[in-house]
Amino acid sequence: MRVPYTAFKIKNAPIRQKLIQAFEQVIDSGHYIQGPNCAAFEQEFALFCGSPFASGTSNGTDSLHLILRAMGIGLGDEVITAPNSFIASASTIALVGATPVFVDVTEDLNIDPYKIEQAITSRTKAIIPIHLTGRPAKMLEINNIANKYNLFVLEDAAQSVGAKLKGKRVGSWGDAASFSLHPLKNLHAFGDAGIITTKNANLIERFNISKNHGLKNRDQCDFWSFNCRLDELQAALLRIQLQELEHWTEERRELAFRYNELLKPYVKVPEEGLDEYHVFQTYVVLAENRDELQKFLRDNGVEALVHYPTPIHMQPAAAGLNYKPNDFPVTQQLSKRIMSLPLYPGLTHEQQDLVAELISTFYKK
Amino acid sequence: MIVPYNYLPMQFSNHDAILADWEKLIQSTEFTLGSYVENFEKLFAEFIGSKHVIGTNTGTDALILALKAIGVGPGDEVISVPVTFYATIGAIVAAGAKPVFVDIDDRYQMDVNQIRGAITSKTKAILPVHWGGAAPDMPAIMGIANEHGLKVVEDACMAPGGRIFEKNSGTFGHANAWSMHPLKPLNVMGDGGMVSTDDDELANWMRIYRNHGMVDRDHNRIWGVNMRLQPLQAIVASHILKTVHVTVEERNKNAEILDEGLKALAPFVNVPPRPIGYWETYSLYMAKFHKRDELMKYLNELKIEAKIHYPVPLHLQEAARDLGYKEGDFLNSEIYCKEIMTLPAHQYISRDQLEYMLSSIANFYSTL
Ligand SMILES: Cc1ncc(COP(=O)(O)O)c(C=O)c1O
Ligand SMILES: Cc1ncc(COP(=O)(O)O)c(C=O)c1O
Repeated sequence: MRVPYTAFKIKNAPIRQKLIQAFEQVIDSGHYIQGPNCAAFEQEFALFCGSPFASGTSNGTDSLHLILRAMGIGLGDEVITAPNSFIASASTIALVGATPVFVDVTEDLNIDPYKIEQAITSRTKAIIPIHLTGRPAKMLEINNIANKYNLFVLEDAAQSVGAKLKGKRVGSWGDAASFSLHPLKNLHAFGDAGIITTKNANLIERFNISKNHGLKNRDQCDFWSFNCRLDELQAALLRIQLQELEHWTEERRELAFRYNELLKPYVKVPEEGLDEYHVFQTYVVLAENRDELQKFLRDNGVEALVHYPTPIHMQPAAAGLNYKPNDFPVTQQLSKRIMSLPLYPGLTHEQQDLVAELISTFYKK
Repeated sequence: MIVPYNYLPMQFSNHDAILADWEKLIQSTEFTLGSYVENFEKLFAEFIGSKHVIGTNTGTDALILALKAIGVGPGDEVISVPVTFYATIGAIVAAGAKPVFVDIDDRYQMDVNQIRGAITSKTKAILPVHWGGAAPDMPAIMGIANEHGLKVVEDACMAPGGRIFEKNSGTFGHANAWSMHPLKPLNVMGDGGMVSTDDDELANWMRIYRNHGMVDRDHNRIWGVNMRLQPLQAIVASHILKTVHVTVEERNKNAEILDEGLKALAPFVNVPPRPIGYWETYSLYMAKFHKRDELMKYLNELKIEAKIHYPVPLHLQEAARDLGYKEGDFLNSEIYCKEIMTLPAHQYISRDQLEYMLSSIANFYSTL
């Protein structure tokens, strides 16, 4: 038996026929750019998140970039984020000309709200908390600080569609939120895609223009901008996937809690905090001798990954920011222990049992 | 009779082969670059005769990627034209540089006689556009660029299948941008684009930058972006690429008929010169028309879907306000915007539809 890190079981999935039908309807319509499916998906997604507005985009990176621009963040500004995320959380800050300022995380892998205030300067304009792995960040505390210092809050919700804090979904907490709909995410297109949510009517208006060349209408260009639209075809497929998301998420959660029971004796398993609804986009354990364990699992047919072995502040791209490895001790420590195990709807109990057995064997040696 | 501008439902009426390939892709889960994208990049490189092709998410991204690759950045000036799609100029600004306009000639292309006058000590590059799919005088532009040590990025977004004598459009400049927007001669079912270049170093940098600056899964050498071509669209593009030459040939036949019919309507209609050796793609079939707005209304009422690309030159757009241009700065461009009109001349337009358009236009002028 093998346990691959991802499994795309479309061939026999009950929704296969619906997806093909949706494909064909879009093809036959001849309307491939910002058509009715994009508009409908945006509405359905906004409703799902409990946010007034949503806007489809080409991917989660472009979303972050264009939201930062729409917020007017640029040269000379600072934006606070966490160093243990996917590179785009920070690279988009650099892309608009601002400086990423990192703040360490806690063991939940999310930004430590109690360390944010120390990092705020007169140049700070925004905070980008990441709901990493599908677990919501400490939004109450973060919003309080943002209010106190008059900062924007941009949720990087790329990994956490559907997650909740106090019953309220991510994407409805900050001034705006960015979601990635890449095929490896819980709600996914069949290629790159993204969507943003916001409660700010001015921001959504600016954003909608900025993702389409700065065009107010076909003939009027208000500002030079980019082409970052969600494909109509992907939107049609996303609408079908969205209908399945809640039961896929439930299946993920059941499997995650089952893993927790099996693995608790050997590794630190991911928790769900009080008032949290964790969607386990990645199932991350903290393991001693992580590299050897990962190799042992791989040698025995289980694909475990590390998200991410090199924190952003230690990437060559970040050299100009002049951070040292130990500037963020928790991040640094965690980067040596984190390991992502295979978890997705369709993963079988037998596969989970095998993973647990291998891990137990490893630690008994 | 309806003369539709949009031909996509016809073009994709038989999509079984594409769907079959999509199923294979979905099983393969190669959604982030991968073999389908690489395969298309190779096919297109062969098609145009370039060493490297780098697939991007859009033509706009391709322009930005090409400009950044050749080193355009803050403080630089890039020379382009006010008669183009917004993205040409948007890309210059996205790269951090300042757009500098020169006027267009009687073929609606960059007027090569004005380039030297626009060069300053800050000029880094020239960005000529293959507007409508007709080529600017690329040999002359390359000559001027070489003289002044400038780089050239061709906006070849409308130019797949076009050429100047034996050399393909989009193979003159140092790094050249293409679009596969649904209404381009090589199109996909959404957005797509690519950059072509013969330069190994530029190609390598672009491959890294378009994918988060990643050199391997765990290392980001530079701050990058996500502007990857979608595998789903790479599959469509690989299929459509086989038809581009035929598409362009059909459009040339249609254009020839329209040219002849419209020339007979001079002085009301002004057809641009078609110099020998310039093989156009007719991404847009355009001519200048007396009383353009009234004519277009008349044609649209007859269900002839004529369009205007575009009614306002870019130096007079709200977005260009900071550049300090004013009305009268680029007269040819301004007249163009008042008189230009695009007629449907795509590969699905029939002889009858062409005749119908010509007789309708003749009718309009006969009542003046
Ligand atoms: C936390 C985070 N932010 C941003 C992104 C970027 O999203 P995308 O891959 O859609 O550009 C991702 C996805 O990889 C992510 O996980
Ligand atoms: C001349 C020109 N440049 C740039 C673009 C932008 O390409 P895309 O729409 O693929 O971003 C287009 C097409 O829309 C174009 O016609």
